[in-house]
Amino acid sequence: MSQDVLIVDDSATIRRMVRKTMEMAGLDLGEVYEASNGIEALAQLADHPVAVMIVDINMPTMNGIQLLTRMKKNQRLKDIPIVIASTEGSKKRIEQLEEFGAFGYVRKPFQPEQLRDVLKPLLGVKEHAAATDGDTDDDLF
Amino acid sequence: MQQQQTATLTTIFSEVLANLAFMFSDDEPAETPPGEVWLETTIGYQGPKSGNLCFWCTRSFSVLLAANLLGIDPDDADAESKADDAVKEFMNIICGQLVTALHGAEEVFQLSIPEIRELPESPELLDEPGAEESTLSVEGQRVHLAYAPTD
Repeated sequence: MSQDVLIVDDSATIRRMVRKTMEMAGLDLGEVYEASNGIEALAQLADHPVAVMIVDINMPTMNGIQLLTRMKKNQRLKDIPIVIASTEGSKKRIEQLEEFGAFGYVRKPFQPEQLRDVLKPLLGVKEHAAATDGDTDDDLF
Repeated sequence: MQQQQTATLTTIFSEVLANLAFMFSDDEPAETPPGEVWLETTIGYQGPKSGNLCFWCTRSFSVLLAANLLGIDPDDADAESKADDAVKEFMNIICGQLVTALHGAEEVFQLSIPEIRELPESPELLDEPGAEESTLSVEGQRVHLAYAPTD
């Protein structure tokens, strides 16, 4: 069954690239919503419950860490899997994200396969794409 | 030391440009057509160490970068409308990579939100050995990069 996704990134270019990558990867996507910061993301979630979120860290107004922390305290939002897509490469930061409950992490610039591999267990792939896909699902951080 | 850091920045710039936008840089001199508008993009980082990055490019380079990142034609209206955003995000990625290359992956650094502005005229740059700036040619266009540690 197709799943809805919310992309949260202050860069419209990155939002478009992520959307395109997910489509090209053959992931079983429903609606794809967008937000440019944490506040907008929470507003989107009020209107559109989604199955997965892809979230940047470095954003104005409310950054990705603040959004993640806020969501984990909210009964309705705490179980939505969040994949962080960020330029940050700090091991401490990545461990921190894991502790805060992020599902996975991809570092920008990422290859389409890296994003696909972290999202595949959450979204699944369309039948024709699954037939040609042989990658494993481990090591999401 | 400063020269080595600038060399690292140049290498990262070229790699990210090639991997993300399929654009290639070299050291060959490139002319900028008269009348081009120049853009200045800045980003900084703070943590156990801190520093600033600056990137100068023409408006037409920013449109080309956006088109390549999005996989669209440079004449597409979206390439122009997303040009500033594309350069800012590109510098965000460069800065993230540079911080890890210069300072390792153990500590946490905060990156600032990139800022971009049009320059009233062509940027004036240092052009001497050991300078903290470097000039590259990308797809026949001249661009400039600078790195400055601030601690």
